Amino acid sequence: MSEFTIRYVGDQALSVEFENEISMAVSRKVRALRRELARRDLPGLGELVPSYRALLIHYDPLTLHPEILIRAVTEAAEAMDPAGSAGGTVVEIPVLYEGEYAMDLEEIARFENKTVEEIIAIHSGCDHYVYMLGFAPGHPYAARFEHPFSIRRRSSPRVKIPAGSVAVQRDLSDIIPFELPCGWNVIGTTPVLICDYRKEDPFLLRPGDWIRHVPIDRAQFREIRRQVELGEYRCRRYEKEAVR
Amino acid sequence: MRFLVEAPGLLTTVQDGGRYGYERFGMSPAGPMDRRAFRIANILVGNRRDESALEATVTGPTLVFDGDGVIALTGADMDAELNGAPCPTYRALAVHAGDRLSMGAAKEGCRAYIAFFGGLDVPPIMGSRATALQNRIGGYEGRKLAAGDAISVRAEGPLPGNLAGRQAPRPVFSRDITVRVILGPQDDLFTREGLDTFLTRPYTVSNDFSRMGYRLEGPVIHHVADGNIISDGIVAGAIQVPTSGQPIIMMAERQTVGGYTKIATVISADLPLIGQAKAGDRLHFRSVAVEEAHRALRQEEQALRQLEESVSSAPAEMPEKQYRIHLNGQVYHVKIQRIEQEETPCIRSI
Repeated sequence: MSEFTIRYVGDQALSVEFENEISMAVSRKVRALRRELARRDLPGLGELVPSYRALLIHYDPLTLHPEILIRAVTEAAEAMDPAGSAGGTVVEIPVLYEGEYAMDLEEIARFENKTVEEIIAIHSGCDHYVYMLGFAPGHPYAARFEHPFSIRRRSSPRVKIPAGSVAVQRDLSDIIPFELPCGWNVIGTTPVLICDYRKEDPFLLRPGDWIRHVPIDRAQFREIRRQVELGEYRCRRYEKEAVR
Repeated sequence: MRFLVEAPGLLTTVQDGGRYGYERFGMSPAGPMDRRAFRIANILVGNRRDESALEATVTGPTLVFDGDGVIALTGADMDAELNGAPCPTYRALAVHAGDRLSMGAAKEGCRAYIAFFGGLDVPPIMGSRATALQNRIGGYEGRKLAAGDAISVRAEGPLPGNLAGRQAPRPVFSRDITVRVILGPQDDLFTREGLDTFLTRPYTVSNDFSRMGYRLEGPVIHHVADGNIISDGIVAGAIQVPTSGQPIIMMAERQTVGGYTKIATVISADLPLIGQAKAGDRLHFRSVAVEEAHRALRQEEQALRQLEESVSSAPAEMPEKQYRIHLNGQVYHVKIQRIEQEETPCIRSI
């Protein structure tokens, strides 16, 4: 059984908090609780919003008494199976690591004392785990568990980074959702959209997915972008084998 | 019926109850900032509570109608005029082809709602017609209204009758507001003195207030350590306090997750008060238990149900009289029905 704390968040939500850390083990608990609660089909239960270490549970207090919900949450936390969250879906995201699209790539290589090719091999060779989505629709908070860079944020943020930029620091990798000022180091760019409202399911990623960055060249970039604009491009997806 | 936006006002958007079900994908629900006024407007015109309507901010729009309809104005008092004559709020009104509704600046409150019988004909996106300005989707092309825009009303069937019976009491919007909060979820990351400051001192709404959130200014609220946490989910009404010690109230278009400590959450029944607050207004926070917040929510629900019942018990059909008339030895059965809408004082008083 897991240690957890249930807190009131206003009058229409509860938060269930697990250990105060960002880790795969804690994230799996959050997702396992979400799955277990969602199965229970509790009238008045609203949306379940996972984050790194907490699950935000919306409810309608006119339908569902908080004490009943708290009891259900406690039961679900006892019944849940965090090991069931192992594995997950790998989503391949094509990345052009080149030229004006990778404005900090050489600096990252210098800082890490590696070649540009080695940096690309690390970034595209490790799967990045999606802890949660937020900040902008479909935007992943993702990290890898092997070969972290030591580079941190730039000392002064760039005023504008274009949408689609792939930016990194330490073990973290980000996909910039829209043009914004940013202090992360831009390693490349992707032609795919993390959120496309034209699609029936607009969101490319789910919490618990794994991002696999796949190097592409300029010709592939142009072709994929063309397909994305037509709404035809589909990222390759496959099941990841269970990781411990 | 369709209306043309002759002047858009400062920030007028289409809103409905909100786009729920996508917060785990990083999408806040949007929806009205003063849910109470929004729902009353819809109920008055005979709509579902969460039907699409217009939300006007600080200054209202000027609209010209091209047909018959029923509308209601609620929320902030923006000196509305219908064809140049003062237009009452918090009651249903008939409008006709050529009528011009013009609104000025909010004298009281911040946001006004204009509901139209039938709701607005904009395409639902992901189950909602709410405009999400930050995400540029929903409502009218994902943006605020501009001069020259035209929106049709989805009215089907006969217009509601007995307009005079479709009224609700007008609230007073104060510039000195006490809102009830439930402490937490991170109240334990503030010092005792910090909590005391928050609950006893007034905070002023800064110029930075929007559908995303309200930045407040006032005495610094002290943390035990600092204002950062491992990011977690954020509800409407959450009061974030970053390390600066100045609170931010998260509203309809908030980010769905964030890494600042949240000292308290405004209770649902009082959140409309924030939606009606504007720069310079003073806020006081009073801590209550969850039970009191739920009581307030039930009262709110009861008041809305009563209003729904009172407007739906108003006769929807026009009154009809039947006569049996003998004329030249023949018997005629005659039905007389008033087919015109009841005149609305504000239009015809000119």
